[in-house]
Amino acid sequence: MTGIYRSVFDIIGPVMIGPSSSHTAGAVAIGQEGNKLFGGIPKKVTVHYYDSFAKTHRGHGTDYAIAAGILGFKTDDPRVPDAPEIARKQGVDIRFVEEDGPSPIDHPNTAILDMSDGEKKIQLSGCSIGGGAIEIRQLKLHGLTITPSGPLPIILSINHGQELTDEIPVDLFLQKHAPYNIKRAYHNDSCYIYEYDLKNYLQDKLIQEIKTKFPNVICL
Amino acid sequence: MYQHIKEIVAAAQKEHKALSELIIEQECQTSGLPREVIWQKMKYNLSTMKQAVEKGESGDGVYSKTGLTGGEAIKIKNYRQKHQTLSGDIMMQAVENAVATNEVNAAMGTICATPTAGSSGTLPGVLFMLKKRLDLTEEQMIRFLFTAGGFGMVIANNAEIAGATGGCQAEVGSASGMGAAAAVEAAGGSPEQSAQALSIAISNLLGLVCDPIAGLVEVPCVKRNAIGAGNALIAADMALAGCTSVIPPDECIIALKEVGHSMPAALRETGMGGLAGTPTGQAIKTKIFGKDA
Repeated sequence: MTGIYRSVFDIIGPVMIGPSSSHTAGAVAIGQEGNKLFGGIPKKVTVHYYDSFAKTHRGHGTDYAIAAGILGFKTDDPRVPDAPEIARKQGVDIRFVEEDGPSPIDHPNTAILDMSDGEKKIQLSGCSIGGGAIEIRQLKLHGLTITPSGPLPIILSINHGQELTDEIPVDLFLQKHAPYNIKRAYHNDSCYIYEYDLKNYLQDKLIQEIKTKFPNVICL
Repeated sequence: MYQHIKEIVAAAQKEHKALSELIIEQECQTSGLPREVIWQKMKYNLSTMKQAVEKGESGDGVYSKTGLTGGEAIKIKNYRQKHQTLSGDIMMQAVENAVATNEVNAAMGTICATPTAGSSGTLPGVLFMLKKRLDLTEEQMIRFLFTAGGFGMVIANNAEIAGATGGCQAEVGSASGMGAAAAVEAAGGSPEQSAQALSIAISNLLGLVCDPIAGLVEVPCVKRNAIGAGNALIAADMALAGCTSVIPPDECIIALKEVGHSMPAALRETGMGGLAGTPTGQAIKTKIFGKDA
């Protein structure tokens, strides 16, 4: 039992624009997580597809779905099919590459997003596991490679030049309001990142509270 | 969270509660949301399904961009009106609802994934037919979706619901099992009969491959939902008649997972094998995407 599907609405839902929940709705979700991780719309995005995504992205509308997610659209937004055109008009350069090899994160529905805006470069590796649900299995930012378990929600606390002890307020808050299964710590010379795999989905109100209390936290 | 079908059935028997009630309680607990909010969310999903069925069954119907699918829900509707159907009007009504929903999906209309978009016609196929057949109230229809969703969570967490990992059996097969279980509850059957219906429905679709022509969720997906809905009704009727599955429901779900993992990649949503690999399937792919695709 993996327990990845935590809500009845993962199964009955999402309400979405067709045609595929894994290749369209799930792809929107991967794009949305890219937007959240980047902290807005990147100037340039290169999307690397693997396996089933590489073979069938055109038929399933995966390209427009990922573009829609990057722009921050929801799965049932009627603008989803027009997202690439809308992105172009906004000056966002999105390219798609069909990769030959196996998925680096070991799933047939894999998309890796290389996002950049000048100096800022962030990579997100996601897979669409079915019914619109996704996993994020790898993140690269600030020179660190983060490997969460996969299922959402994931919380990142990013601290430049600060020690572990500064993490305690976030830890305590999460333990009380958003219990987590695993906490992982990553660091290099300039940055400490703490990653939390949460047990349950977060309500919007709680996400807002976390963001207000801890400006250095990203909620995926 | 319920991890196995047998746990949900045991809880329903012990607490003398409907399966749908247990799933609503579980959702309140895990999400932290009040019951009313959860109820309204499901009501919204139900209204989306209703609109999709109506869209696919109105006027000349809907057609996909490629022209591969569309208008067949209308053909079935007209046929039902003018002829005595072979499998019965009720059965063909379910088929019509299922086809209508998936035609809307293929035409990039708005649908509710149940559990996936490719299998989004199976549950509405069963549900909107049962509404007329059993004169279901809105509350009963919403409960149908909670029961289906709760059983679907167990399938998703123990096996697969993606064609790319488990073939069509994981999508339409899962939807059919969910619909069969929920149909039993709607008809007044016992929780154990719901579990039996799920077992029978899944067993009958084990091995179904995911072989979309040109990788599009059109052929054979739209018609596969017709068999998903029909199979759900057959399995539900058999369970209500007292027929049982020799293999218990949780083992049927494991079998679904194992069969999915034994399938070659060509039959798991790559648009390469099965119907997609036939000369006609390949010719259609070339026509739509060009020679180098």
